[in-house]
Amino acid sequence: MIKRYFKKKPYMTYIAPAMALMTVLTLFPTIFLWLISMTNYQLGWDLGRVKFVGLDNYIRLVSGRDPDFWNAVYISLKFMVITTAAEMIFGFLIGKLLCDSESRMKPIVFAVLIIPIVMTPSIAGNIWKLMLNAEYGIVNYFLAVLHLPRVTWLDADMAFTSVVLADIWQWTPFVALISYAGVCSLPTDQYEAARIDGGNAFQLFRYITLPSLRPLIFLAMIFRTIDSLKIYDMPFVLTQGGPGNSTEFLSLHIYRLANAQNGLIGRAAANAIILMMISSAVSKVLTYFQRKEM
Amino acid sequence: MSRAQKRAVRKVVVLLLFLIICFFFLAPYLWMVLISLKPKVDIYDPGKLLFVPTLENYRSIIEDAHILEYFKNSMLVSAVSTVLSLVIGSIAAYGFARFNWKDRENMAFMVLSQRMLPAMAIVIPYFLMAMFAGWLDTRKILVICYMLFNVPFTILMMRGFFEDIPLEIEEAGKIDGCSGWQVLKELIIPLSLPGLTATAIFCLINSWNEFVFANFLTSVKAKTVPTSVMLFLSVSGTKWGEMAATGVLASLPVIVFGIAVQKYMIRGLTFGAVKG
Repeated sequence: MIKRYFKKKPYMTYIAPAMALMTVLTLFPTIFLWLISMTNYQLGWDLGRVKFVGLDNYIRLVSGRDPDFWNAVYISLKFMVITTAAEMIFGFLIGKLLCDSESRMKPIVFAVLIIPIVMTPSIAGNIWKLMLNAEYGIVNYFLAVLHLPRVTWLDADMAFTSVVLADIWQWTPFVALISYAGVCSLPTDQYEAARIDGGNAFQLFRYITLPSLRPLIFLAMIFRTIDSLKIYDMPFVLTQGGPGNSTEFLSLHIYRLANAQNGLIGRAAANAIILMMISSAVSKVLTYFQRKEM
Repeated sequence: MSRAQKRAVRKVVVLLLFLIICFFFLAPYLWMVLISLKPKVDIYDPGKLLFVPTLENYRSIIEDAHILEYFKNSMLVSAVSTVLSLVIGSIAAYGFARFNWKDRENMAFMVLSQRMLPAMAIVIPYFLMAMFAGWLDTRKILVICYMLFNVPFTILMMRGFFEDIPLEIEEAGKIDGCSGWQVLKELIIPLSLPGLTATAIFCLINSWNEFVFANFLTSVKAKTVPTSVMLFLSVSGTKWGEMAATGVLASLPVIVFGIAVQKYMIRGLTFGAVKG
């Protein structure tokens, strides 16, 4: 019978092992996570004490008994919007600049753009921490040389901006490389035709460049929104979520609840489910727009 | 202004912009290299660019902080998970590239959606399962976790590379009497070796840089390089020199690898969705 099944669906012989593995690696843990999120389990408890508490953990989140949660959701979404917008704009401009230019510097620029992308985020975060140090950081040193006021980059007011800055540094090149590929593959004849018809630069951009690049722009946007939504390593080393909870993104909030000191696994799991739902909702919406013809 | 002048001005402006871009994206890396070579006292004096370079920081991390242990962990975990993912993922990729069935694109989308899964969410059940199994702080749990993103990545990347190979080659092989598996082994794999290498390198880079699982699931024995930078934070302040030296050693391989697969960078960054 099994033989006949594989004969009817020959592709299954190839994809079955990987699909089975992925089901075991993601589906089961996700179901397990749902279950944990409905218990009061804390680290170090023996299993006898674990009780099923239904939706208690979720009600706690929604009802505002966990104000840090709403703060985390708010700054995660704010971070997602700001970094994605900035990276898309700067990245697109760099990509366009690279495509239009025939400079001999281009290969160097490409090599430089790759460095932030592949660099270990936790290490990059540490370097930013050193550079942004209020007393002996190079950034403030430069500001002093230019007779500008020094900035305490990692205090409560500026910490969020610092994480945004570091994220823009690391991921703008990603958008730049993708936009470069997109812009450079646009056919030139459409532009010539439009120019003959008297289109100006803005019209060319609005009616030719943007529509043809739509799928690509959305693709870059999907990757950037999702990745910035789940950001963890960069703020973890740069600010540890602080000062206070000014940079406690959702991932960091989950970590703070679940780590060895607090060990509130049940509550952390409910947070994790929310994070999962937000990121899948965001990616669904963007994928829908990416596929929709306009 | 004449046309030629306009063009010259434009060229200078573009060159300047390129220099600014390079400076912005390269500066943190260069600063790290510089700090790693600075003697301790000079680190707190950012303006001092003339100093006697020293390898003291490197000696210290290797001899005192035993950083090479973490490098060994990182290398083993990355390599094993990459090899396993390549084998399982490439076979599935071949299925996706060469067969057609009703739900194929939905399945491919499911594979892609693994990329969207927040690691911080999925790590909690892994943490508990590892705890009950006694696998916390072992390399094998990290190998398993890294397959979470390496297998889907390999499937989608290799699917693209396989689709680039003309079908005629395969048909010729079949006429010569090769079975399906033989075609894959004798024809397709050798022909897609550049793609396979690029995919392997991306898997290595991603595993090498991974932080969430490593931070959550390991503590001492299986600690990897990205989490080891936290070692240099102490109550008496951060040991910046040592941290920077670790950073230089850790980022050197990924940067070399990254520049080596430059040609496939866009493909790799978009999970094979854009064949740049």
